[in-house]
Amino acid sequence: MADFTAEVFQNEYLAQGTTDAHAVVSISCAGAGTAGQGGTAAAEIVIVDTSGSMDMPVAKINAARRAASVAVEEILDGTWFAVLSGHSIAQMVYPPNPGMVRMSAGTRADALAAIGQLRSGGATAIGAWVAAATELFGQVPGSPQCHAILLTDGRIEGEAASVLPNALRKARGKFQCDCRGIGADWDVEELRGIADALLGSVDIVAEPADLEADFAEMMRTAMSRGVADARLRVWAPQGSDVLFVRQVAPSVEDLTPKATSISPLIREYPTGAWSDESRDYHIAVRVPVADPGQERLAARVEVVVNDQVLAKGLVRALWSTDVEKTTRIDPAVAHYTGQAQLAAAIRDGLAAKAAGDERTATVLLGQAAKLAHESGNENTTRLLTKVVDVVDADAGTVRLKRDVAKADEMALDTRSTKTTRIRREPQP
Amino acid sequence: MTEAPAAAACPACGATHDPADAFCEACGSPIGGAVDPPADPPTRSPADPADATADPTGPMPRPTGEAAACRACGGALEDGYCTECGVKAPSPRDHWSEEPAPWLAGVCDRGIAHPRNEDAMALAATADASRGVMVVCDGVTTAPDSDRAALAASRAACQVLAAAPAVEGSGEAAAIRHWDGVLRQAAQAANAEAVGAAHILGDPPEPPSCTFVAAVVTPGLVHVGWCGDSRAYWLPDEGEGEQLTVDHSLGTEMVRSGMSQADAEVDPRFHTITRWLGADSVDATPEIAARRLDTSGYVAVVSDGLWNYASSPAALRAAMDRAAEHVGSTASPATLAAHLVEFANAQGGHDNITAALARVSPH
Repeated sequence: MADFTAEVFQNEYLAQGTTDAHAVVSISCAGAGTAGQGGTAAAEIVIVDTSGSMDMPVAKINAARRAASVAVEEILDGTWFAVLSGHSIAQMVYPPNPGMVRMSAGTRADALAAIGQLRSGGATAIGAWVAAATELFGQVPGSPQCHAILLTDGRIEGEAASVLPNALRKARGKFQCDCRGIGADWDVEELRGIADALLGSVDIVAEPADLEADFAEMMRTAMSRGVADARLRVWAPQGSDVLFVRQVAPSVEDLTPKATSISPLIREYPTGAWSDESRDYHIAVRVPVADPGQERLAARVEVVVNDQVLAKGLVRALWSTDVEKTTRIDPAVAHYTGQAQLAAAIRDGLAAKAAGDERTATVLLGQAAKLAHESGNENTTRLLTKVVDVVDADAGTVRLKRDVAKADEMALDTRSTKTTRIRREPQP
Repeated sequence: MTEAPAAAACPACGATHDPADAFCEACGSPIGGAVDPPADPPTRSPADPADATADPTGPMPRPTGEAAACRACGGALEDGYCTECGVKAPSPRDHWSEEPAPWLAGVCDRGIAHPRNEDAMALAATADASRGVMVVCDGVTTAPDSDRAALAASRAACQVLAAAPAVEGSGEAAAIRHWDGVLRQAAQAANAEAVGAAHILGDPPEPPSCTFVAAVVTPGLVHVGWCGDSRAYWLPDEGEGEQLTVDHSLGTEMVRSGMSQADAEVDPRFHTITRWLGADSVDATPEIAARRLDTSGYVAVVSDGLWNYASSPAALRAAMDRAAEHVGSTASPATLAAHLVEFANAQGGHDNITAALARVSPH
């Protein structure tokens, strides 16, 4: 059984009459092992876009074949798996008949041979691909830990707009899906929507040559996730309002809308599978006010695996008239508040730019440049400078670049949620 | 934490703690080799008050009927908080009351502004009112772990006073001589505990320390001994009350050198005490006094968390009388002490608050 720990960073002191308790709960997992161990089967599906455009240039379909191959090579023996070719429908590549098989030396060799035969042609019906994967995972006996990689080079074509949302509704909670867009002709929002619904990552692979390494890495990560499904169980007191539950590291993911109500005071938030890693969550709860000197538990945050509580953190609210205590902002809360603002500024700034509102875009991307600079988020700063010229990072003054490569803009868009970790200083 | 081996529950208040901890973080009770909390009510045996303080460092008494419910809404408790409204359950160290006999009771409370309750009290009484013992120690806030020193000191002194033999011979002079000696022994025992607390902590540069005041109420006489600025009062039902102790503080020195009481009380040095118990004490000898109890009234033993808001005997008596009006003239010392604590909290609760009262009835 994996070991989870939860550590709470907060300033528990609230000024008289105030109600909002903020905390960063840092959750770490150790001893996760590998996927498919400990009684839970693991299942993997690789979905490769084989629509007609994958031939233009032909480097794309070649890179997709190689990437699917290395991914299959990373799948551990005993894992259920399948490879799908996605075009107007989702077509079985391996095994040949609809279903999944267990990985072994023999099935691996057969799968690699089948992947070598992949040809392109047809539309991009991503909704149908997601639906097919859901159905395949459903055929694995027991309650397996399911994960898919979905690769596309374009936006949905030749499929009704309602198909993907319907497919996602059925897929949610059944499997996690990492999404990759190759080239610059796909739609960031579309893939982000899938990744968000299915607790996966989304990223751009602008250069076909980079796809292989990315797929290998994704599959290795999936295989290292020995904890199939962990949930955050959050208790908050009567009369309170959970303002948000947000993953803030390694990336910003709002979990608030994903809450399931367990009881009037308890909600659960899915966090998917875990490897040996740590993630930070920013939790904000509005609690009923109490008198100075009084203390109230604002939230109890538990890590739940198989209905067992493996770690617990307490978010407290302690009202005080001591201004010195109540005005301090916890460094972790401050840092991640800034990182979430940074991600939002980039997203909204790029949306404004796309809508032709250059003034708003300049202001928002300027804010982003300032926030990225202040927090030492060098990756985001680097991505930003491909889209804007930073005139004064401290002041947040930027100029929109002319002739920005579309892929650079998409890279900034997809990676804007990546956060830097706060440097941990000993708690006072 | 169903499976987590790292957590264990405090035997006194139920809060989880690291097994390596020697004391509970929530209530300050000792944990190492800890025993179950006493199932009995905190009332000390009226027949033999000496039994009451058998373990001066044992867990805090848990008031009966309050064990596992929220005081704000009645909800169940988990992790020391209410599972419904989230309000923190006061740890037994933060708020407790004792009523060893219907005529003698006290309440010790954290107050509002301080994060810890460094006040402590220990009470004992016989049912026939032949002897009542009230000890209050106020931990010095600037020294860490003074809460433990105060608790251990008050319990040790109470044990000495409760276990002391009756006066041999007759007459007030014999009684005063007898109790003078016992009060000195009690202060010595209390000081030994406070010094011992410093040794347990590895003799820190700023060792824990506390004030000390003890009152022994016997038929017709009250005997008091004190170090520091915790006080004893005689508050008769008729006539003027009297402060039985004189603070060992710079405030007293200021008044002695001619400053008015009112001016002295607002001086920041007023509360600086000149005598206390503990490893860094310059003079741990108690001052001793006695007073004849010739009418009905109350002997009150209190910490500065209360007398800050009612310093004169008249003000203190007035605060008590307002409480009595509120709850009826038959209010027990336990109820009155609780009201005095509430009164101090209503004034801001800037310090820990202890109020112990003994009802004195004419013969």
